[in-house]
Amino acid sequence: MSTNSAASMEVEATLEQTQAETRRILLEGTWAPDAAAGRNAVCRHANITRSIRFVQRGIAAAETHYTYRALRTLSSLRKRFQPDALAEAIAAYGACDNAPATRDCLAGMLRLLGLQPAVGPRAGACEPEVCLFLGLLLLLHLLDGGHHERGVELSELLIGLASGSQRRTLDPIASRIYFYYARFFEVAGRLSDARPALLGALQAATLSGMKETKAMLLTLLIRNYLHYKLYDQAERLTAKSDFPADAPNNLLARYLYYLGYIEAIQLNYSQAQMHLLEATRKAPSNAATAGFQQAAHKIYVIVELLMGNIPERSLFRIRTLRKPLLPYLELTRAVRVGDLNRFQDVVSRYESKFLSDNVLVLVQRLRHNVIKAGIRSINIAYSRISLRDICLKLHLDSEEDAEYIVAKAIRDGVIDASIDHEKGFVRSAEVHNVYETSDPQYAFDKRISFCLGLYNDSVKAMRYPESNHRKELAHAIEAIKRERELAQELENEDYDGDSDEDAMDEDL
Amino acid sequence: MPASASIQDIGARYEQARAALSSPNPNLEALKPQLSQLKVGLVQLAMQSSQAGSDPTFMALQRNVTELGAEFSIKTGDIAAFERYLAQLEPFYFGDRMGLGESKVMYPLIGLNLLRMLSENLIADFHTMLERIDLEQLQTNPFIVHPVKLEQALMEGSYKKVWQARSEVPTPEYVFFMDILMSTIRNEVASCVEKSYASLPFDDAKSVLFFSNLDGLLKFANERQWTVSPAEKRITFQTAAEDARAFQGESIMKQTLAYARELERIV
Repeated sequence: MSTNSAASMEVEATLEQTQAETRRILLEGTWAPDAAAGRNAVCRHANITRSIRFVQRGIAAAETHYTYRALRTLSSLRKRFQPDALAEAIAAYGACDNAPATRDCLAGMLRLLGLQPAVGPRAGACEPEVCLFLGLLLLLHLLDGGHHERGVELSELLIGLASGSQRRTLDPIASRIYFYYARFFEVAGRLSDARPALLGALQAATLSGMKETKAMLLTLLIRNYLHYKLYDQAERLTAKSDFPADAPNNLLARYLYYLGYIEAIQLNYSQAQMHLLEATRKAPSNAATAGFQQAAHKIYVIVELLMGNIPERSLFRIRTLRKPLLPYLELTRAVRVGDLNRFQDVVSRYESKFLSDNVLVLVQRLRHNVIKAGIRSINIAYSRISLRDICLKLHLDSEEDAEYIVAKAIRDGVIDASIDHEKGFVRSAEVHNVYETSDPQYAFDKRISFCLGLYNDSVKAMRYPESNHRKELAHAIEAIKRERELAQELENEDYDGDSDEDAMDEDL
Repeated sequence: MPASASIQDIGARYEQARAALSSPNPNLEALKPQLSQLKVGLVQLAMQSSQAGSDPTFMALQRNVTELGAEFSIKTGDIAAFERYLAQLEPFYFGDRMGLGESKVMYPLIGLNLLRMLSENLIADFHTMLERIDLEQLQTNPFIVHPVKLEQALMEGSYKKVWQARSEVPTPEYVFFMDILMSTIRNEVASCVEKSYASLPFDDAKSVLFFSNLDGLLKFANERQWTVSPAEKRITFQTAAEDARAFQGESIMKQTLAYARELERIV
């Protein structure tokens, strides 16, 4: 009973303590009382220290949102980077004896900064997370400064440390380390060399259940394969591996974009369109993600055209998309009108742009769509038209070609018509009332299932961050109440002292 | 098993086989065991020394023998074997090409593979392979341009162009696949024709379906179950009168049940 009350007291105390901690960390940025000697140094790299406190807090509480908070401070730290502040931070945490791998890692970082590894007075515990966090900061600095070779070296060092340990708290930091690892190889032009390490890391991450790292590695590997145009391998990777469904949204958006691109290459347009649309929706649309939105929308426009739909004009008016998507707007206009000459014109004019966007082959598949659109518009406008006129309007080579093309269009369901061979004309079938068919039902069904899917996803994504504490607190309050009641009952019951004496005898 | 030969031996035998294959009337039966011997010799060499993978002469020899095998399978009409040889040649043709230069027969063989995919209607594979070829080759190399233009014509539906392209092949080996392609096209055209025409007279049907004589046409018509009336010399196609307004009970039931299930789940 007494232990129960003690436990409950502890629970309450811990809750208060956590809140006090956080407040103190945010406001003051100092930690242990024995840091008096290094107080000046601490203040100089106070920002770094604050972030590291968050990381350590995250490890202690095994809660990821502390780590994410620390990672969010990275962008501001990056802007105000001072090498000596980082060096001091490394020195402060670097003199630990119980983790030689970490210590070597930190020493390596100091070397890369061009400074001597100092022997610091503190011999506290240093976790790999702290080391990786500092390493990440240094990586960002090297990337900004353009020191690619040093960046490659440092990232190899860091992933050696990351792959050596299997701690779950390492997950968010490790995933970012892998991202910069691949990025350094990419800017150094040696992307295929990164592949073995990434594949090994994927295996390790899957086995140890590190979801965010696994998601990041999958996107990095697909990007790697797409860079070398190994579409078969990329497709096999997506088919065989399992993208974690609860990965952060930005990773999911990237993965969906790559998936959509691969499917578009392999002529699976309906899936591609779905995935690309989801990618554009999952990614936030602010200034930092403008590039991603542009890339995703470019492929989306082409896939829509290949499916025979015309993307909406409002899509091209979005401020961040207006200029990059200008060639695609011209392309859409040419396809919509159905004019083959105009289409050829646009393709040749913007060929270099399409080539740099990696969509040239997709664009060339659009030729067929231009003709289809042309035939469709002719069919709607005329109830009966001679084959010769079709041939002239679409700039085809001969009447026979026109006949074959129209027959194929009829077979594919593009138009609803019949050809009269002897008299040489095409007669359109009469227009049905579309509401009599089941098309509206089908369209409604698609929208309904989308909304229901969205609802289910948002229910699954809801989080209740404080619920653990509240539950414990609730139990604690219950326990206290029960105790008080029991104590009261005991008081009320035994006034004759017998059980007291018995109890005292037992104690003796 | 004879003693394993050295690289020079295999090289010499390869030259012999290639000369035999390039002659006007090659003796295919005799070449077959020679080819298998070459392959076995290569495998033995590879097992002997572990550095075979980095030896350029060995890699070049391996590539040449595989190309020989590919050409041989075309001549014998073995499509499955051709596909296998091309799969083995992929690392030699794309990517870093195992450190070797370009092979002379690379583009003809790639073009033939593209044509094979077209004739078997593997459009997705066709496009995937197309992506891996350099852009300028796509536009200038006659071996590649031919299948690309064919594919465009097929997609549009101008089958006349495909029929005419039959006579414009860059190398005679293409004819083999073109014949297969023709029969594929014929089926395509037939299904188009069924939907678009009510009936056709014999002569027109003959030209539309690329038949040179009436018997072929009549046999084909019987296979596809068209009504032939010799009196009027017309073929009538069965118009499958689909009622677009038919009540598709099953799909409506499935959808409605799905809605009910989802709605029940809402708390």
